[in-house]
Amino acid sequence: MSSLHAAQIEQIAAWLAATDIGLLELRGPGQMLLLRHDGAGVEVVDVVQTDGAAAPAAPVLHTVNAPSVGVFLHRHPLREDTLAAPGSAVRAGQALGLLQVGLLLLPVLAPADATVLELLVAHGTVVGYGTQLFALQGAAPHGPRT
Amino acid sequence: MIEILSTGALATVQDLGRAGALRWGVGTAGAMDPLALAAGNILLGNDEGAAGVEVPVFPFRVRFGADTALAITGADVDARLDEQPLLPWVAVQARAGQVLHLSLPRRGAVWPASRAYLCLAGGVDVPAVLGSRSTQLRGAFGGLDGRALRQGDTLRAGAADRQPLAGLGLVPPALAMPLQVDGLPAVRVLPAAEYTHYTEASRAAFWAEPWKITAQSDRYGYRLDGRPLEALAAIEMRSHGIVPGVIQVPPGGQPIVQMRDAQPSGGYPKLGTVIEADLWRLGQAPVGSRVRFVECDWDSALAALAETRRWLDEVHRLVGLQRLQRG
Amino acid sequence: MNTAAAPSTSLLGTSAMLFEAPGETTLPTQQRIWALAREAETWPEVHEAVPGMNNLMLSFTRPPRTLDLLNARLHAAWSTIEPLALQGRVVELPVVYGGEGGPHINDVVAHTGLRIDEIVERHSAPLYPVYALGSHPGYCYLGGMDTRIATPRRKVPVLRIPGGAVSIGGTQTGVSASDGPSGWNTIGCTTMAFFDPARDPPALLQPGDSIRFRVEKVIR
Repeated sequence: MSSLHAAQIEQIAAWLAATDIGLLELRGPGQMLLLRHDGAGVEVVDVVQTDGAAAPAAPVLHTVNAPSVGVFLHRHPLREDTLAAPGSAVRAGQALGLLQVGLLLLPVLAPADATVLELLVAHGTVVGYGTQLFALQGAAPHGPRT
Repeated sequence: MIEILSTGALATVQDLGRAGALRWGVGTAGAMDPLALAAGNILLGNDEGAAGVEVPVFPFRVRFGADTALAITGADVDARLDEQPLLPWVAVQARAGQVLHLSLPRRGAVWPASRAYLCLAGGVDVPAVLGSRSTQLRGAFGGLDGRALRQGDTLRAGAADRQPLAGLGLVPPALAMPLQVDGLPAVRVLPAAEYTHYTEASRAAFWAEPWKITAQSDRYGYRLDGRPLEALAAIEMRSHGIVPGVIQVPPGGQPIVQMRDAQPSGGYPKLGTVIEADLWRLGQAPVGSRVRFVECDWDSALAALAETRRWLDEVHRLVGLQRLQRG
Repeated sequence: MNTAAAPSTSLLGTSAMLFEAPGETTLPTQQRIWALAREAETWPEVHEAVPGMNNLMLSFTRPPRTLDLLNARLHAAWSTIEPLALQGRVVELPVVYGGEGGPHINDVVAHTGLRIDEIVERHSAPLYPVYALGSHPGYCYLGGMDTRIATPRRKVPVLRIPGGAVSIGGTQTGVSASDGPSGWNTIGCTTMAFFDPARDPPALLQPGDSIRFRVEKVIR
């Protein structure tokens, strides 16, 4: 893939808008394009171009899913601050949110050091096992996604 | 093993209290918020009644001498393990060498509370005296040498019974079982023997008006500020047994609620007794805050006790299930 | 205080019940309270039966669903119970009256109109039966004080009175077993270990024992 320029990015964006794909990541030597489609439009989240001589580790997309049925919480019931706001940097193992199952609070953990791209579910939503909760952009590929 | 790096006054080792020694003039002592201590213990796989550290004054810092599972329950005190912020009411695994830092309870918190409980897997291992590890300050026995903790003290944790469930948390009982009147925390009270000795206006005011917890309040008793209570006539009292929760009215008319370190007997008239099921709520009410009293009867008081017991049983059950699932 | 003719019961929350014997505070009534305590401790609802001054606190193992049965049993037992005339030891305590160890003896002088020597004589004359333990570990509630030296409790309690302080509060007298606050009038001091948690029983004195105060010294 040769260097992308604006017109090509626009073309790819237009194509993406016609699909129901939420996130598109294109990687090539020395380049990375990340587009997000939220239904209303397509947004260029990131474009990286380097010399290509030593290709950097490509960013990895993680989705974090609910580990069980429960009520998803973006903040601890005793606090008012959101645990993982969009755009914030999180560390592997950090609690992104909580899943309330009866009296228990189960942590939903970041699988890797990452940036929070999107909160996919609102605070207080009842979710099922496997429901997608977060989209994260990690720095490098890691082990199995949760 | 934990080492106290810094502490405010009045941090003590407490379990759920000392029973069976009233006959020798020994009161119960024990955690001011027994629900928080019991819940922290259940999260860590301890017996409910294992000893923990009650921390009423902040900041408070300890260093872990060994890998230890812990939970901070009670007030949300912005706990940190080294630089890592901890969530309240959640079990956490600390590594040897890490420092736990407890700050002040947040102002304007969702649940205004004043005491935090440091619970350790295996419980705080101090000798049991007269059947309990609670600190008996007057008489100086129990807990750690019968006194408050000081910088440089070390405390051992007992052998941990079960695998730690790091990350597992609880919805605090203040949220699960709220009790408020006109936006203020409330506690239920059973009238006591001298209740009818007070004027109707005083009795009505006792239930209808908020009472402020003055700065002269501690583990011995909470001195309240509000409309002075008037007796119908001077009341002659003989020394008699009392329990935590008894609301005494000394000559000035400002009530004192006897708390965990209160004398087990007294000579003042008693208006009522805060029910055992609600003592944890009062034990967490901060100095300067106001509370309301709600009149209740025997059946309601028993129902309240059953409700807290059910909450603890449910925590046991759910934590047990988690343990099975994690294998 | 129960000025009615019949005993009364009342609640101390859901943790305990209080039983008050009627009439004046006397030793024979206290002996019946001791007997009632012994009986009540055999009941399943009762964890501890703790005598006070002519009264009895029953702490619950578990609060009973209804109180009627327990109340009825209590009243029935009281109506027939015989005094338990416990005969314990007599313990003699040497007391230094007045001076630094008796900071409030002049308040007793002011209230009673008696001289220090008269107060000391009247305080040290009787044999004081231990009615009950309470207040703090090892503390004994004593009966039998001469009412002529009775002095009301202080309006402002003292934050810290040392263990061994000999005090008068109203018509009662007692000795502090450890450092702590007190609203009573301290007239002297003694040395005695009243409580040792390592011993069994931990309290040195118990109901049925008696105390005699021996005048070691009077500081005027």
